[in-house]
Amino acid sequence: MSLQIIVNGLATGSVYALIATGFSLIFNVLKFSNFSHGALMTLSAFSGYFVAAQSGLGLVPTILVAVVTGALVALAGEFVAFRRITLNNSSPVYFFVSSITLGTMFEGIITVKVGANFYNYPQFFQNSTIKFGGVVISTSDLLMFFCSVITLLILAYILQKTRQGRGLRSVSFDRDTASLMGINVTRTIQFTFIVSGALAGLAGVFLGINYTLYPTLGSLVVKGFIASVIGGLGSLTGAIIGAVLLGFMETILISLVGSGYTPVFTFLLMLVFLLVRPSGIAGSNIQEKA
Amino acid sequence: MALLEVKNISKSFGGLKAIQDFSLEAEAGEIHGIIGPNGAGKTTIFNVISGVYTADEGSVTLKGKDITKMEQYLITREGMGRTFQNIRLFKGLTVLENVLCAFDPQSKYGIVGGLLPTPKRLSEEKRGREICEQYLELVGMADYKNERPENLAYGKQRRVEIARALTCHPKVLLLDEPAAGLNPTEVSELTDLIQRLSVDIGFAILLIEHRLELVMSISHKIHVQNFGKTIAVGTPDEVRQNPEVIEAYLGKEE
Repeated sequence: MSLQIIVNGLATGSVYALIATGFSLIFNVLKFSNFSHGALMTLSAFSGYFVAAQSGLGLVPTILVAVVTGALVALAGEFVAFRRITLNNSSPVYFFVSSITLGTMFEGIITVKVGANFYNYPQFFQNSTIKFGGVVISTSDLLMFFCSVITLLILAYILQKTRQGRGLRSVSFDRDTASLMGINVTRTIQFTFIVSGALAGLAGVFLGINYTLYPTLGSLVVKGFIASVIGGLGSLTGAIIGAVLLGFMETILISLVGSGYTPVFTFLLMLVFLLVRPSGIAGSNIQEKA
Repeated sequence: MALLEVKNISKSFGGLKAIQDFSLEAEAGEIHGIIGPNGAGKTTIFNVISGVYTADEGSVTLKGKDITKMEQYLITREGMGRTFQNIRLFKGLTVLENVLCAFDPQSKYGIVGGLLPTPKRLSEEKRGREICEQYLELVGMADYKNERPENLAYGKQRRVEIARALTCHPKVLLLDEPAAGLNPTEVSELTDLIQRLSVDIGFAILLIEHRLELVMSISHKIHVQNFGKTIAVGTPDEVRQNPEVIEAYLGKEE
């Protein structure tokens, strides 16, 4: 495997990891796949574009705007779409329907605002590539990789070492018992949505830089979804491992069969994975959940 | 006014009357045993007191405050700690983290502290660890703080659950069959522990237990339940001689 493939794989994988963890956090706490996550990424990426990037404010404000938008919209979404379902202990089907509805609504709002056009973030960097040895690394890939790694490390630290993190983990395991230990479960779920939304915002900006901005950009959430299934639904470590694997696989496939066939093989692999090891890589091996 | 006053609570599930007209008054330092055959509604009583279910009728008062319709987590914060019949520790967390979860609601840092390592957070985390380690020490589990609970023996898991309940700083501690699945040595160790806690900490303990020798030896007062109804209340000696209790436990003489 050439060094170039490793570099590209890591860069792609790190963004998938952001998506997958944001997705898995909600899955852990409420036990449903949040299909509005993708649309939330798009919404945040566009808000970053219109509020900051378009007025020439540069990369950092763009990311900040997107992250804050993601967090706030996720928080509002939880209240509107999921709060009552959670309190009633309703079946996961309602979460499923609710999240799809919410996602479609977000996409509708974006389409009304921007039309079906493609938008490009302005060039944030003067040099678009850096040569390192024999390897060409694009500046945005490098940035994505480091931002993602740092974000995930901070997330791991919060989950392990703070009361909010422990609350999130205990609620993931047993909501009722957590509440009987004095933990405010509603507050914890809100916290989870804030974190998940912030991750969606960050991932959205990176996707926008890497590709272009368009209303259905969020469909890339499928990659995060695949990553978290490959890794083992519910395991954050598994989701990250799955994301990096998926990143590598896509990079290798692109060099082998071209970008046209790559999605075909990717989804084929996911199907095989579901047949052979439905519990994912982590499955029962990695016990920790959040 | 008693520390915990349970007044005439009733709870039905569909047609099944799980509790009918149950009352109890407990003072600090007292141990109350609740006994009865399976399905007598004992755990339901705990669930109503700790807010898992809301009583259909009657009221629960803690320190003079009506907690009947309060939310679970607020009741806990008012001073209600409990353990569970089927151990309910958080499996992916270490022993210490399990106990810390019960301290966290008392921890005084907000979301800013959650995201940034503020001095407040660092000092609160330290205080929390110290308190939790103290309680683990008290139940004799300090050496296991970094273990995962699922790797521990049953008796040890029970102790961790008790430490976790103690960390809620309860005024009333509800122990739901703490001796279930324990061997005789563990049972006698547990009996000592419960008595010691009752004297040292001075809260009221409500105890559901099938092992009569345990309940009889440490309870000040015993409530005997059968099919949701209280059939006898009194000291261990009074209850032991009550004909209805003998009938419920041993069957009627022909």
